[in-house]
Amino acid sequence: MSSTHEHTEPGRLPSILTIASAVLGAAGLVIWLGASMSRGETYYFWGIWLIVAALAVYLWRYRLLNGGEALRELLRSSARKMAVPVMGVVTAIVLGGILMLATGYNPIEAYGALFFGGLVRNWHISILNAAPLIFTALSVAFAFKAGLFNIGAEGQYYMGAMAAAWLSIHFTLPGIISLPLIFIFAGLFGAMWTIIPALLKVRTGAHEVITTMMLAHTARYLSPVFIRANGGDPATSTHPYVTWEILPNNFLPRFQQFLPQANYRVHTGILIAIVVALLIHYILYYTSWGFEIRAVGENKDAARAQGISVGKNIFRALLIAGFLAGLAGFNQVNGLDHRLFENLQAGYGWNGISVALLAGGNPIGVVFTGLLWGVLDAGGQFMARTTQTPSAIVEIVKGTILFLVVARYIYTAIGNWRRKRQRHREADAANAVKEGA
Amino acid sequence: MVDYDFIVNLLSAMIRNATPIALAAIGAVVCERSGVVNIAMEGIMTVGAFVAAIVAGATGNPWIGLLAAIFFGGLFSLIHAFATVSLHLDHVVSGAVLNVLALGITSYLMIMIVGHPGTTNPVPVGLGDYRWAIPVLSSIPVLGPMFFNQTPIVYFSFILIGVFTWFLSKTKLGLHVRASGEHPLALETIGVSVYKMRYFGVLVSGLVGGMAGAYLSIESNVSFTEGMTGGRGFIAMAAMISGGWHPIGAFIAALFFGLADALQVRFQVFEIARVPEEFFIILPYVLTVVAVAGLVRRSRPPKADGVDFMIERSED
Repeated sequence: MSSTHEHTEPGRLPSILTIASAVLGAAGLVIWLGASMSRGETYYFWGIWLIVAALAVYLWRYRLLNGGEALRELLRSSARKMAVPVMGVVTAIVLGGILMLATGYNPIEAYGALFFGGLVRNWHISILNAAPLIFTALSVAFAFKAGLFNIGAEGQYYMGAMAAAWLSIHFTLPGIISLPLIFIFAGLFGAMWTIIPALLKVRTGAHEVITTMMLAHTARYLSPVFIRANGGDPATSTHPYVTWEILPNNFLPRFQQFLPQANYRVHTGILIAIVVALLIHYILYYTSWGFEIRAVGENKDAARAQGISVGKNIFRALLIAGFLAGLAGFNQVNGLDHRLFENLQAGYGWNGISVALLAGGNPIGVVFTGLLWGVLDAGGQFMARTTQTPSAIVEIVKGTILFLVVARYIYTAIGNWRRKRQRHREADAANAVKEGA
Repeated sequence: MVDYDFIVNLLSAMIRNATPIALAAIGAVVCERSGVVNIAMEGIMTVGAFVAAIVAGATGNPWIGLLAAIFFGGLFSLIHAFATVSLHLDHVVSGAVLNVLALGITSYLMIMIVGHPGTTNPVPVGLGDYRWAIPVLSSIPVLGPMFFNQTPIVYFSFILIGVFTWFLSKTKLGLHVRASGEHPLALETIGVSVYKMRYFGVLVSGLVGGMAGAYLSIESNVSFTEGMTGGRGFIAMAAMISGGWHPIGAFIAALFFGLADALQVRFQVFEIARVPEEFFIILPYVLTVVAVAGLVRRSRPPKADGVDFMIERSED
């Protein structure tokens, strides 16, 4: 009786552990993301320890509720899920090292600088890079779940950024009211840019890859027109144009406001991105909306047979995807730049595709792959500055990672080939035995 | 202001601007008719443009540069073929990855070979230095300077449009390529390898895409600049779609986009009307959305375009 007591009625302990895990995790996350090593402070690592502790508490709770066997099964299945991405990252880094060696650079020195720069020295830049990528990648990932490829997140990002910039220049309300409004309008403008692709997809079957891609370029070239109308004076400045600065009441809060040691540029957009990622995970896996969207993505005919409207869900999924990409614009304008630049080289929408693919369309995974991309970008710049290794190597490594992770068939093919060889060898051995006898 | 010279200049600029778009577009037509979606044209053109400038600069001979660009464009496109046909990777995903890789590889090699990012050294002789005026024909008013007083790759593009149209509609191989994009299983049933046809289609787009890249770097310019393709690979896709997946249709669409580009420059210079320059840049993209919406006319992709084909082979 006493032994089963723990499993059937664990008491109040699990709920206490849930709260403890959430508090530890949130505190660790804020400290970790907000911290910067540039002042020689080490409390950055305290954040990581707190997150590890939160994870341990969570696993303890899981064991308490479901038993030790279930916990082991959970760990095994997540290890299996992680195997392909980790293998891809490691292989790509090794291949990049070989390329550097072959072209006369020192890979140890270069990678040392890359990871020191990305993870320690310029960690704040990694976070700043990651935040918009997480939003655009969530957009692409959400569309994936409905079986759609939102390749034009770049355009929705620009629409969101334009809406955010215009409202932030003109809204004089206190930030606590205006920021949520701007947040929502930036998202809505992003969503607006997917209405036409969604309508065409549902009505005429026009492929969303083509329509969203074309509209992405359209939005990209509309932005200089907008910027010139809002401060970018073509008489005094040529490319890249830039708008007036937005009003200070519309700045996103910075970590420095509650963590005095934090780097002054780091804003809370990354926290919003993580919360939105959790929210999207919740919508996809715990609501009927999410269920319907995933059902349509998995198998349209089966979904239709179940009475799920395919058109409605495609429409819904693309609009939500546009909303999410628009938020990336809000993040950049209100969080980082405080004005809208004609970002010629940023390409957050295009890179968001890579980040989403790498995460396999998983909204929680997107947070981690977004951070990985952010680290590689920030580290690449640091590496180029300190070791004179071209930062383009990072682009090659990124492309290779992506290729090795998304081309899962490579692993199937290798497995097939090995099994086949194994069978042949066994057959040969059997023949040899037969001939010997 | 709008006189004979203006019209002639405008129209021959239209042809010049349309050439790289038309070349990439007809390459993409063959690729997509074989059933492989190719959004990697931008990357292929970047590779072609870079290789052409480097090789033409090193050898002093633009023709070798052109051949190298064609060769490496084809080589690069084979990655796409391998990924999509042999590894069954999603076509759009593979294309997106290759566009990233092309940028990374060219800017890495740029620093390796040239020593600095940005622009390569100008080639000693470019293909733009060869202006071939066809006797008699080039003296026809308007049409003469437009079509018959141009540089080499412009002529090649005219020839290729004819060759590809003939190839797709009149030859057996062309029929097989189209079948592999419309109904791959039927093609496999009569004993023709769909894999081979698709490899062939992608390779053609790579070869022609490399040539389009070479046009940008060593014919209309004298050096390679990072980002010089400027989205032309995507406009080529737009031309292919607006042109209904047909070489001649793609060429006409490319001409229209070339005209928009040529007008844009003149609007700015002559201040004909106060239209933002971006209007003309946007035009091709908007037009493509209209084209796929079916408002102008039906533009239908090959039935099995972008659909993976996996044939179960018996082992042993």
